[in-house]
Amino acid sequence: MVQLQNSFQSSPKLNVSQTTPLSLFGYHGRYLRVDVGTESADFVPLSAEWLRRFLGGSGLGTALLLREGTAALDALAPESPLIFAFSSLVGSPLTTSAKFAIVSKSPLTQRINDSLVSSGFAIAGKKSGCDALVVTGRAAELSVLVIDDGAVHLEQADDLRGLSCAATEQRLAARFDPDFCFAVIGPGGERQVRYATISHDGRHAGRGGSGAVLGAKNIKAIAVRGSQRCQWAEPQALAALAKDLSQRSFGPATAKYRELGTAANMLLFNRLKTLPTRNFQQGSFEGASALSPESLAESRHRTRAYCAACTIGCEHIYALRPGESAEDSGVRLEYESMFALGPLCGVDDPDAVLAASKRCDEIGIDTISAGGTIAFAMECVDRGLLSEPWLRFGDGAALLQALELIGRREGFGNRLAEGSRLLAESMGAEALDFAPHVKGLEIPGYEPRSLHTMALGFAVGTRGADHNRSSAYEADFSQRADRRQLTADSATLATQTEDKAALMDSLILCKFLRGVFTDFYAEAAEMLRLVTGADVTAEELHETSHRIVSAKKLFNIRAGWTPAEDILPARFLSQSLSDDPTARLTADQLRAGIRAYNLARGWTAEGWVGSDLLTRLQLTEFAGE
Amino acid sequence: MAPDWRTIRVEFYGIPRARAGVAETTIGFAGDAVTFAYVLQKLAARFPALATDCLSGDGLRDGYAANLGGMKFVRGPEDRLSAGDTLLIFSADAGG
Repeated sequence: MVQLQNSFQSSPKLNVSQTTPLSLFGYHGRYLRVDVGTESADFVPLSAEWLRRFLGGSGLGTALLLREGTAALDALAPESPLIFAFSSLVGSPLTTSAKFAIVSKSPLTQRINDSLVSSGFAIAGKKSGCDALVVTGRAAELSVLVIDDGAVHLEQADDLRGLSCAATEQRLAARFDPDFCFAVIGPGGERQVRYATISHDGRHAGRGGSGAVLGAKNIKAIAVRGSQRCQWAEPQALAALAKDLSQRSFGPATAKYRELGTAANMLLFNRLKTLPTRNFQQGSFEGASALSPESLAESRHRTRAYCAACTIGCEHIYALRPGESAEDSGVRLEYESMFALGPLCGVDDPDAVLAASKRCDEIGIDTISAGGTIAFAMECVDRGLLSEPWLRFGDGAALLQALELIGRREGFGNRLAEGSRLLAESMGAEALDFAPHVKGLEIPGYEPRSLHTMALGFAVGTRGADHNRSSAYEADFSQRADRRQLTADSATLATQTEDKAALMDSLILCKFLRGVFTDFYAEAAEMLRLVTGADVTAEELHETSHRIVSAKKLFNIRAGWTPAEDILPARFLSQSLSDDPTARLTADQLRAGIRAYNLARGWTAEGWVGSDLLTRLQLTEFAGE
Repeated sequence: MAPDWRTIRVEFYGIPRARAGVAETTIGFAGDAVTFAYVLQKLAARFPALATDCLSGDGLRDGYAANLGGMKFVRGPEDRLSAGDTLLIFSADAGG
């Protein structure tokens, strides 16, 4: 171990004690572990076998988190690690591969959180010479952690204090050489808002509060660059496969994302009464049309953006106000942001919703949790449970004011910054019935009573209510499921979509690519074979996905999970939608589905992971923790 | 219009709406029911851009889905639609 020297006094950078990289294709064969409290760092070896078991991204991050043995600690404790995990595909010519996972214990749920974000930081981070970065400890002062091609140091960040995410990156870009990339927190992370994000290039690792974890370490930003490229096992064949994949990515499976963006969901979900409205009291919103991408494109300038190494270009950026340029004043607008800050809060003014989304980006907080918590508070005001009469459904100015207070943790904003679960717990049993969360993570824009496979996915998700890690809505929007019935097949469908999502998050590839594949597991195995040289098969990857999901569950068990957490709030199990009385889901139906899901996973009926399964999944090294 | 002329309504969402250029349309037919393939043939004739990008033969291209009344998915050419039904056609991937 080598002590770092704080370079703001212009001391020379010191090299971290080196572990010679293994002769691997696609990987460096090591991760970098930095303690910003003791200002020390090590490169720690990773075997080829271990990397093959967990791949990268979400899988690798989860395994490293388990290895740290800190599951019982509070998420914001200095010793609670924050892990940035890359993968063998990062830096390859494969489209959408420039992604990284950020894995930690969540301050919102106190369970595992893995969030993904795209673009150059993934490539630069991997080129700095590691397959993952583990950050632990707490810096003595607000700092920038700099990783420069194997050399590590801290720099003071007092001039960045209070800056928005974008302003922070701009200031750092002026300070550092142009080949550095940055992952930053905004004021939300500095003040440890429990759903604060980590941002890179205007994109956010949004859910679960990883920004608060970085803020608790007194780290405002991480700056990375490097020159250490991995080799590919079969570069020519990989290039040919990458070209074919890129061409397929321009096809009908991705047209929605290219032309309309995720916001295309707005009108369809409204029609199907699966658009959560006014804190999940209704499934449709009278103002949905004004918030659709079709309407927005008529009223204001729009442009598109691409992540690094992506051919899809799903990002649609809208001008804040009509008459302005999207390049000058634009905000990336996704369906989840629109639903959470629009219909969920009863706000139909597109100017207000766009401004709210932009403000969340600037503060560095998750739009889904911010909107969900505010919407919950709005209903509490309606019901007389909260005395904040300014905070009403439909009031766009109040929505913006609430976000300001959250970002400053000022007044009522300090309570909102804790998330809907803690806010509800402070108010008592009646509020808990309709607080819109699972395990503390606010429910995204899919109405559970209208999408029963998704409801099951929400209830059992290790991250909490999570459409992305579950992806069970794929079943509900297909012939494979009856979206209003949990059947014997529902559990199987929920495990299948969850496994596929876990694999995509560990490879790492963008989920918007999923419709392009005809046999995803076989094609993924081929990609890995060409990148790493390992004789990976589709069957092996099925087991790998199962391993990764079970590893996440294992962490949660170590963190104190009990079966009682796998449930939806009482509202969803006792009330139908006021605009769709046929949309119902009972507690008995959901519990039967959860039991079937657990058994389908090879867990006990209650959801515990037994020793036999740990052995089969090669997770026994974590068994005794 | 013949006395037994019936209709179904077709609603478009997402890319199908962009290609059709309209939010919805009506397909007329004689009798009480019609096949999915028949409806798609009529739509293809009425909306050439929809035909090019979203339809394939007597079915939908991969990446698109059709749903009756918001509840039941249809895909087979011989699937039956009854007079008064509403058919929704939309991009299949619901991710967001």
